[in-house]
Amino acid sequence: MAASALRRTLGRTLAMAAKEVQHIRRDLRTLYLALAMPVLMLVLFGFGISFDVDHLELAVVDQDRSTASRELVRHFTAAQEFTVVQEGTSPEEALAALRRGQAVAVLVVPQGFSRDVARGGAQLQLLVDGADGNTASQALAKAQALVEVASRRLGPAGLSPRAPPLEVRVRTLFNPTGRSALFLVPGLASYLLAMVAVLITALTVAREWERGSMEQLFATPVGRVEIVVGKLLPYLAIGLLQVLLVLTVGAWVFGVPVRGNLGTLGLGALLFLIGMLGQGLLISVVTRNQVVATQVATMTSLLPSLLLSGFIFPIENLPLPLRLLSTLIPARYFVDTLRGVLLRGNGFAELWPQLVALTLFAALMLAVAMGRFRRRLD
Amino acid sequence: MSTPEMERGAEPEVDLELSGVRRAFGATQALRGVSLAVRRGEVYGLVGPDGAGKTTAIRMLAGLMRPDEGSVRVLGADPAHPRTPVREQLGLVPQRNSLYGDLSVDENLRFFSRLFGLSASDFTTRRERLLSITRLERFTDRRADALSGGMYKKLALACALLHRPRVLLLDEPTNGVDPVSRRELWELLYGLVHEGMTLLVSTPYMDEASRCHRVGLLYAGELIAEGAPRELARAHGLAASNFEAVFLELIRGRAA
Repeated sequence: MAASALRRTLGRTLAMAAKEVQHIRRDLRTLYLALAMPVLMLVLFGFGISFDVDHLELAVVDQDRSTASRELVRHFTAAQEFTVVQEGTSPEEALAALRRGQAVAVLVVPQGFSRDVARGGAQLQLLVDGADGNTASQALAKAQALVEVASRRLGPAGLSPRAPPLEVRVRTLFNPTGRSALFLVPGLASYLLAMVAVLITALTVAREWERGSMEQLFATPVGRVEIVVGKLLPYLAIGLLQVLLVLTVGAWVFGVPVRGNLGTLGLGALLFLIGMLGQGLLISVVTRNQVVATQVATMTSLLPSLLLSGFIFPIENLPLPLRLLSTLIPARYFVDTLRGVLLRGNGFAELWPQLVALTLFAALMLAVAMGRFRRRLD
Repeated sequence: MSTPEMERGAEPEVDLELSGVRRAFGATQALRGVSLAVRRGEVYGLVGPDGAGKTTAIRMLAGLMRPDEGSVRVLGADPAHPRTPVREQLGLVPQRNSLYGDLSVDENLRFFSRLFGLSASDFTTRRERLLSITRLERFTDRRADALSGGMYKKLALACALLHRPRVLLLDEPTNGVDPVSRRELWELLYGLVHEGMTLLVSTPYMDEASRCHRVGLLYAGELIAEGAPRELARAHGLAASNFEAVFLELIRGRAA
């Protein structure tokens, strides 16, 4: 008796799932949205968003024209950090290049530089375009480091270079070359998954309300849970496929490693997706309208996943209210999980708090959505 | 004058029942204390203009809405109960296009058969029969959205009949259907009643009222008259064919 009831439940759930697959096959835009868009955006963002600053355009004003000055310029260009776009003796020309945006910095080597170097106490002038704060500060930092090195080489042989009282040697772990892609791909993956999963679910359930087919469904023996599970199963499968695709592209195009436990990553992805599908379900149950559902889904998944997940802005740097708010954003925990597994080589032992948070979010979303999902039209 | 239910003998069973049902949507009173009973094997017509409360009454009977006051019984049970077995016995053809427009005729049929847990062999025989009586055999691959109004309604009817319900609720099934298809649809419905099914049909068309065994006239959320069409007509000294005049007469009587 119980077995036959279970078989019927399973049958109805699978009927819902099969119908959903037919919808998807009939309108492949859903599939493109789900699979092609994340990959496209990953590639675009991955190459487009970069905090790495290389090949800074430098205008050089060499008024000394000596071996020492040429040696100094060579130092600037040797590490590929600066590219000389203009060389001359006129500061006006160099400033014009800065103003036109052809150069981000101007290095002025004054007359008598080689003499002053030999004596110790030479001076250089670096003019930086402050319009782009990030680039300016990086140009400044790089120039200072380069001058430091150059001064040891060029300084008077007799005099020992001024030894700094304290020397800090920074070694960056996990992402030693500081490549943005390694840092961004996990964040981007969870952002894209969040957006697509919430959006697609919100749309597909809202469509049943809007088209009136929910009325027909409610007049049949199919239950609420059967409707929901059946409708969401295909999208869960698509979501997991997305994760796989995004990680593959991340590894293949950007060389993102997988250093940790894949099982933990898979579990995290599953929990995260269930939470996102639950959120989409809640939105569609409340709005019952595709247009409104789209807007709410975008607002509640896109923005928090972008701004409060640690994807772009480190959570520690957020103001306190936003930092507290970010604890409610599941993308934050999924970003942690992805970075942990991919870059830090973490497994379940380190990431269980994130998995618990993802579980709580998923359970809460589904509970609230099911509570609001009445099997009635009123 | 004998009506079909009288031929069946005294005390026929009541399959559908609304008693004292009230329902408001905000400030709008959709139903103001409606009581009606539909007997087994009867075609009951719920007749009234748009906005009279026909759809609300049908949704109550289908268990899709609860009344603010009063009670609803279908086959002796509350159809809005979450675990009611009534749904296995109930067929609904909603007024709105409620099938899946992007799925084909066959895919729609198969989906609903699976929801009702039909076996593969049952589905095969019933599908064949329903396609033949609705004359949709040649259109099984056509998307539901691409069907004409009449064919769409027939497909909706076929989907609602797959599980052989004992009671069938049809909300304006002939709305937007051409006269030939309308006649076909009614012939289909009579065939079902012959097999012992109980039908409640809502319609805004007065000429269709005369096709029912009994009609209830719904006006502004109230049942203002009920009975066999001919008897209602005779009571007002009019021909049964001119049911529209009967209805207008009744409305005028209330307004006065």
